[in-house]
Amino acid sequence: MPYHLFKCSECIPEREKHAVIKGKGEDISMALPLGYLNTIPGTISERGCAYCGAKHVIGTPMKDVIHLSHGPVGCTYDTWQTKRYISDNDNFQLKYTFASDMKEKHIVFGAEQLLKKNILDAFAAFPNIKRMTIYQTCASALIGDDINALADEIMEENPDVDIFVCNSPGFGGPSQSGGHHKINIAWINQKVGTVDPKIDADYVINYVGEYNIQGDQEVMMDYFKRMGIYVLSTFTGNGSYDDLRAMHKAHLNVLECARSAEYICNELRVRYGIPRMDIDGFGFEPLSASLRKISLFFGIEERALAIIDTETARWKPELDWYKARLMHKKVCLWPGGSKLWHWANAIHEEMGVDVVSVYTKFGHQGDMEKGISRCEEGALAIDDPNELEGLEAMETLQPDIIFTGKRPGEVAKKIRVPYLNAHAYHNGPWKGFEGWVRFARDIYNGIYSPIHQLSLLDISKDEIPTDQGFVTNRMLSDANLSEEVRNDPNLHPYTGNYDNVSHLRNKKYPEFPRAEKDTSVA
Amino acid sequence: MTCEILERKRAGIINPIFTCQPCGAQYASIGIRNCIGIVHGGQGCVMFVRLLFSQHFKESFELASTSLHEDGAVFGALNRVEEAVDVLLMRYPDVKVVPIISTCATEVIGDDIDGVVRKLNEGLLQEKFAGREVHLIPIHTPSFVGSMISGYDIAVRDFVSFFAKKDKPVNKINLITGWVNPGDVSALKHLLQVMDIEANLLFEIENFDAPLMPHGNTVAHGDTTIDDLRNTANAVGTIALNRYEGGKAAEYLQKEFGVPAVIGPTPIGIRNTDTLLKHLSDMTGKPIPESLVHERGIALDALTDIVHMFLADKRVAIYANPDLAIGLAEFCMDLEMLPVLILLGDDNVNYASDKRISALKEQAFFDMEIVTNADLWELEDRIKNKGLKLDLILGHSKGRFVSIDYGIPMVRVGFPVYDRAGIYRNPVLGYQGATYLAETMANTIFTDMEYKKNKEWILNVW
Repeated sequence: MPYHLFKCSECIPEREKHAVIKGKGEDISMALPLGYLNTIPGTISERGCAYCGAKHVIGTPMKDVIHLSHGPVGCTYDTWQTKRYISDNDNFQLKYTFASDMKEKHIVFGAEQLLKKNILDAFAAFPNIKRMTIYQTCASALIGDDINALADEIMEENPDVDIFVCNSPGFGGPSQSGGHHKINIAWINQKVGTVDPKIDADYVINYVGEYNIQGDQEVMMDYFKRMGIYVLSTFTGNGSYDDLRAMHKAHLNVLECARSAEYICNELRVRYGIPRMDIDGFGFEPLSASLRKISLFFGIEERALAIIDTETARWKPELDWYKARLMHKKVCLWPGGSKLWHWANAIHEEMGVDVVSVYTKFGHQGDMEKGISRCEEGALAIDDPNELEGLEAMETLQPDIIFTGKRPGEVAKKIRVPYLNAHAYHNGPWKGFEGWVRFARDIYNGIYSPIHQLSLLDISKDEIPTDQGFVTNRMLSDANLSEEVRNDPNLHPYTGNYDNVSHLRNKKYPEFPRAEKDTSVA
Repeated sequence: MTCEILERKRAGIINPIFTCQPCGAQYASIGIRNCIGIVHGGQGCVMFVRLLFSQHFKESFELASTSLHEDGAVFGALNRVEEAVDVLLMRYPDVKVVPIISTCATEVIGDDIDGVVRKLNEGLLQEKFAGREVHLIPIHTPSFVGSMISGYDIAVRDFVSFFAKKDKPVNKINLITGWVNPGDVSALKHLLQVMDIEANLLFEIENFDAPLMPHGNTVAHGDTTIDDLRNTANAVGTIALNRYEGGKAAEYLQKEFGVPAVIGPTPIGIRNTDTLLKHLSDMTGKPIPESLVHERGIALDALTDIVHMFLADKRVAIYANPDLAIGLAEFCMDLEMLPVLILLGDDNVNYASDKRISALKEQAFFDMEIVTNADLWELEDRIKNKGLKLDLILGHSKGRFVSIDYGIPMVRVGFPVYDRAGIYRNPVLGYQGATYLAETMANTIFTDMEYKKNKEWILNVW
């Protein structure tokens, strides 16, 4: 597995060890790109900062909280309304964002009194919200404001409020990943164990590393509820602050995004003896295996099997319809951290696409190990990619589609590669059985877009077809399919609703009889 | 019946209207051809601003970071500026202009970006990039001062003061547009063209609306050249459309090179566009041609169709970049609408003495509030808790939830707009902009009436 030095990076040879090509018969023991090292300045990397890793990725999906950043206004503004972590409480956490508005005089004289007044004013504006998170920024870290002491003081004076402080300035670490770590540890240190609810349930889990992008969490909650599993807290998508203070009461931590949230699972295991189980909500097989694992842990396997059977029967014919039409389409799987390994193998096995490249902006070597293991031979793996390398890779690999962020998606667009938003999804949620079909549908719609086809035509040189007033994606996708596949009566495209989440909020679930041996006293 | 000018009293900001200074400097820098800015600070200060630009324009723009980490925060990070310049120049052979844009972090730690630019000019650029035209421009935009508006204003001035050089007179004017969209630039170029006037356009950003071509890579980019910037010193005069976004540069050119400056008014609406044409005509001696009388007539004809029948007495709240907000308020007055609340999202002390604001204050025959240093809670709180009644909101996408949650129709204007398609293509400036704005306001109100079965809903027909 040779290292790969991009032409555009020949002048910065240290980049060579950040990219590898997975050779025939090779595995990750032969070479692995470097990961989680400081970015080379001026490369136009895609990385964000540790503040956004803490606040934007993990903190703000918490739904019943005033999220206040202590610093100048930009950090707050820039991370506001750029991600799709919805919630079932009318999206308070998306709609409202708070900045202490630090100015020059505060840099000189300190901003603690400003922050105190801020906190009180924010609670006064929203009298029904009694919980707050405060995020340090570069500026407040550098002037050394003691936010924790101030939070303690306020909580003492106002016993009905509770405040969490996360000290994760933007410069802390090579990328947003540093912030993931800091907020994980800060939460368990400050908040876990500070409430002790009486839990009346047999099977209690924390659902960790799940951010409810377009409703992912709510889809997964549906399965858990159908299995009679009580989800004590979600860290953090659609999650509730006080539920997360009680994480220590769960029997099991079910971990989805290990990149951003394994730290708190590991600490919960060490401090409270709660086992960690890594699962995967993406893909029929990985999801089925995950539900089965969880159910086996609690000895309720038949409940998981019932769900898997029902959901597979309902959605598999639709997934397979897309698979038949996506076979060997080339994909650049270029997400942020963990989706490269969540998706790499599952999209190949279940949708038929070939992953020709994986990259990670803020992942560590562990993510690359998993990602490279799961992608196809010949695939190019890139750590901390930059603008020119991404372009060079796309020019070389000629992918049919790439999965990446919104802005890099615009770069791809200009060289006529369609993109799907890997962070916030196109028409998600993409988790769950139905969600996976939605993902396949979105890929299909991207690759076979008639408008995309038009973008390849040079009307000044090419033969202009004059016999067609329109083309459909079906005409494009089915042109080379065998009659048998095209007309397979068992397969059909997606039949779900545009909104497949809202109805779950009022859904009634069956009551399961309590287990004979009462395990509710943790 | 009064107009009050207030200031936000709460300590903090709930839902900001503006972001911080480095964003403004970055927006200015992408307007220059062969320019990639390096932001000296944490990576988020660039990554999120690039995202914001891409949300608005649906395009990607190149901006680099020095990637400040802990060691730099403790020991100083000027070495990372040096490395960033080197790496950027090596990998982007066409780059000529490199602003070094500071942030809160690097201003607090006191990194001397002016010093490092001198050092690079004498060292790296001589040794490694000899013979290559490269301009390094330090731009100080600490995030704890001003806002994205002042950041833009400072950056435009710094670019101009860096390049402007006295030479033989050039028969051009300087047109400093302020923070506008490609559609505005097209509208302005149209006016210049029919007036037969040549201009150094700061900034020529029409190509921010970049095509998808069958071959090659057509990245969105600005087209203002180094020569344009140099020649600002030799122009007939400067017209800065916006007081707060480019005004500093116009003043600089007047003071330093005697280039006469006309600052404002922002050509929003018929009246302000008339004034712009008068300024253009006075500055160049070129007459206003018949074709513009015709174009103005088409706009007036369109406005007359809707003004007193549909728009009159509609109560409007406005939040936007300050010159845009003031221009919109002025236009609303002409349209017989009532701009009852105007929010200016930063603490610029000059608002208090702005003549346009004074005029609004004197002439408001209804209750009008102008709030400086405002946030979007100033709007929502008035609606939710203080009984403010509105028929329309004019503002950018960050305030969309106020419109959605309180059922108030909204016309997206300004920056950023990421919940509507193609808004950057539509001008708000000039006669075309006046027509677009008024008709969009009317159509938005009509749609709302139909959805809500409002009293007049069946009457929104001619």
